[in-house]
Amino acid sequence: MAFQEKIEWLTLSAMVVAYGIYFSLVAAYPAGPTLVETLWLFAKISVAQIIVVTIGAVVLALAFRKEGQAKSDERDRSISRRGATIAYYVLLIGVILVGVVMPFEQPSAAKIVNASLFILVIAEAVRHVVMLVSYRRGWHG
Amino acid sequence: MANPPFTNDIKTLRFFAGEMTQGDLGDKVGVTRQTIAAIEQGKYSPSLEVAFRIAHVFGKPLEDVFRWQNDIP
Repeated sequence: MAFQEKIEWLTLSAMVVAYGIYFSLVAAYPAGPTLVETLWLFAKISVAQIIVVTIGAVVLALAFRKEGQAKSDERDRSISRRGATIAYYVLLIGVILVGVVMPFEQPSAAKIVNASLFILVIAEAVRHVVMLVSYRRGWHG
Repeated sequence: MANPPFTNDIKTLRFFAGEMTQGDLGDKVGVTRQTIAAIEQGKYSPSLEVAFRIAHVFGKPLEDVFRWQNDIP
């Protein structure tokens, strides 16, 4: 397994746990939290996720010292581009839904904010999944 | 993912080059061991530059390392 692939697994796992917690907590507020509460919670979850990923990356780099020192090569970059390209379309569709379609139903501001954050998380998750699938199944790009 | 329309003899060439490891070849070419493994398995099509670098390591012309499959137009 390539070092970059290990990092992708780590990042995706941390994302799923962190934002799974975030959206569960948000769903637990029936009336909807305030904008400040929403963004503050999102910031705390994001910082926690970044800390976990950073510590995990350091541990992986120490455990796989030689691989960790190797720079990304053309395959890593090609797979990364593929992930970003597909995630871009997911983000584009999400932005259209949240920014163009949702306002016609006049949802609360909190719903629009959380839908926007959800789209960001989904697009990022798709990027990581596409990269992992490309590492596993191969990519001729 | 479909295989690329060409095969390669990297594994054989490595064997005849003193049982060179994938990691050694990767170091010489400037890619990771996993990328060499992916190329050998037909899971990744290298850039022209990396293909030439691989051929250069073995002192062979490109077509001795990578071969287009004749049944594919």
